[in-house]
Amino acid sequence: MAVLAPVSGSAAPVPRKKRRSRVSLSDRRTRFGLFNAAPVVIYLLVLFIYPIFSTLLLSLKGENGGLTLHWYTDAFQGANLEILLTTLRISAETSLLSLVIGFVLAAAVSRLKPLWAGLVMVVVVVPHFISALVRTYGWIILLGEHGVINNALTGLHIPGAPFQLLYNETGVVIGTTSVMLPYTVLLLYAVMKGIDRRLMAAAASMGAGRVTIFRRVYLPLVAPGLVNAGILCFILCLGYYLTPALMGGEKQTMVASLIDEQVMKQDQWNGAAALGIILLLFTFAGLLLLRMLKSAGEAYRNRGTAS
Amino acid sequence: MPETDLMPEPSLTVPEALTGSGKPLSVTRLRKTYSGVTAVDEVSMEIAAGEFVTFLGSSGSGKTTTLMMIAGFCEPDSGSVVVGGRDVTRLAPQKRGLGFVFQQYLLFPHMTVWENVAFPLQLRGVPKAELRRRVGETLEMAGLSSMTRRRPRELSGGQQQRVALCRALVYRPPVILMDEPLGALDKKLRDQLQTEIKRIQQELGLTVIYVTHDQEEALVLSDRIAVMRDGRIDQFDTPQELFERPRTPFVADFLGAANFLPGHVEEQTAEHTLVRLDSGGLLTARPQAAQDGTRVRAAVQPGRLALCPPGDGFCTGTVETVTYVGTLVRATVRPVGGAHSELVRLELPAGRAPALGERVGLSAEPGNVSVFPDAENGG
Repeated sequence: MAVLAPVSGSAAPVPRKKRRSRVSLSDRRTRFGLFNAAPVVIYLLVLFIYPIFSTLLLSLKGENGGLTLHWYTDAFQGANLEILLTTLRISAETSLLSLVIGFVLAAAVSRLKPLWAGLVMVVVVVPHFISALVRTYGWIILLGEHGVINNALTGLHIPGAPFQLLYNETGVVIGTTSVMLPYTVLLLYAVMKGIDRRLMAAAASMGAGRVTIFRRVYLPLVAPGLVNAGILCFILCLGYYLTPALMGGEKQTMVASLIDEQVMKQDQWNGAAALGIILLLFTFAGLLLLRMLKSAGEAYRNRGTAS
Repeated sequence: MPETDLMPEPSLTVPEALTGSGKPLSVTRLRKTYSGVTAVDEVSMEIAAGEFVTFLGSSGSGKTTTLMMIAGFCEPDSGSVVVGGRDVTRLAPQKRGLGFVFQQYLLFPHMTVWENVAFPLQLRGVPKAELRRRVGETLEMAGLSSMTRRRPRELSGGQQQRVALCRALVYRPPVILMDEPLGALDKKLRDQLQTEIKRIQQELGLTVIYVTHDQEEALVLSDRIAVMRDGRIDQFDTPQELFERPRTPFVADFLGAANFLPGHVEEQTAEHTLVRLDSGGLLTARPQAAQDGTRVRAAVQPGRLALCPPGDGFCTGTVETVTYVGTLVRATVRPVGGAHSELVRLELPAGRAPALGERVGLSAEPGNVSVFPDAENGG
């Protein structure tokens, strides 16, 4: 019907062509870059790469000195396998809970005036400066059978009170979540702050209600942050030792505690090394999942649209 | 969904239900104060279907606040907004069914061009086939057919604003509100998009309320312009009326950058008012109810002045500056004689440029001269 209007004068930015960068040592910039990177490279080689490889070696060493996968098969058997699965389960539960609480908190804070937002963030982050040990004991006081929370619940005649909130999975998840919360809140807050709130106004002007705006505009824009925060939280939980050890019961033993036990009580360095490597592989798997989720999201967004 | 009655007809002509209902928008005595400061003061207006209305004013004149109250982003202290016979004053923006184009485009960054434009239709549950057709037609009209799969960040500013425009009109809202939509673009692109907005508006018979501080833009686009100052509408009229018969000195100055020549009324007749200027000359203006002897300011726009031999006309002076502006020449003349000697600015076709230092007379058609009571001496 209409005359096809000429597209505006300033053409759209042409997708940047990847320039093939020719790296050669004769290039002054390359040499300079290598020179700058050297201290870090040496530091990493000595303190990260070497220990990791020696741990790897240790985990593959048999009792008679030869190479063996014995320690790995051990780790995936019986009680050890259960501990691995418990670790994964508790990490997943904790990540999910920290994500939900972190999301609500960050969403609320991102709406506050800068001064109040700063104050709330201080309240969220400052406990992190206190030793995790102290915080964990704080939780133990709060959650104990005659702790503040159970006393309050008993006082209110809540049926079933006092609840068992310590030395079980509930206790571990509560304690670990409180440790992980600052990470999720900070990550999500940064993402939410970057979202132009006027986009919601724009959606509202077109007739979108609150739920639709949240589902179609807000959530997709926060999603990358949610994925990042979730994976980070999960990875941190995998190797977390203190809170699960203090607030959990026997059934909540996590891999870190098992490693501790093998090294300190059983002098079982090879098995501990194998468990360490398995944790590392889980972490890599988590990071890989993050990448896959990201590219899947990208593909989803780039899916064909017209006709 | 309540909005469905706003878009019963998928065709690109305006649904009869809308044009038939008479005025799509009327605003009555709208008022808004921010912590004691009045931002909008008793603004009332009625807008007819298919009309392009502009709120013109400098920043702080209340034009944007008025628009925000119509859109529902800001609640008025008193007054009412009626859209198509329905009082929407206290309704949330999403329940008003209006369209809005923002200065910052505000396209959804996670959606493609196509998805952005389809979004309001999806909200309304438009069937897939129809949605596809309407989005396609709208994008084609705006010359965006080749970039439906792009993301907003891959588009230039002008293209983004076209998409925003498509998104606001694809669901045929009874009124489209635009808040300085071209404010972030450069001059050339702005001119181009002005023409295009006007074309689309006329083609589809859209009712548009447009906010700008650029008088040229307002003149190009509008059927009627509401000139706003200090939260009030100074004058709400067609561009021609505003230009030729400004009702206040502010309008004369803001739209026409008029010369104000002080003097007093010497004689009143039915056909004209004679003003004795302080510089000595006698200026014939269009009739204005004012008593003889009243202090007045006569306003005449630079483009409405003509050169004549010295001694003729209402003023004689020497040419002080001459500036070529394309096909136009801007000149200033310093009047000689009389107490007052403020420079008079005039615009002439390039061929009639006077020489620097030349003695010239100035004349103006009586119909182009407005007379305003001199506020300073009057009260």
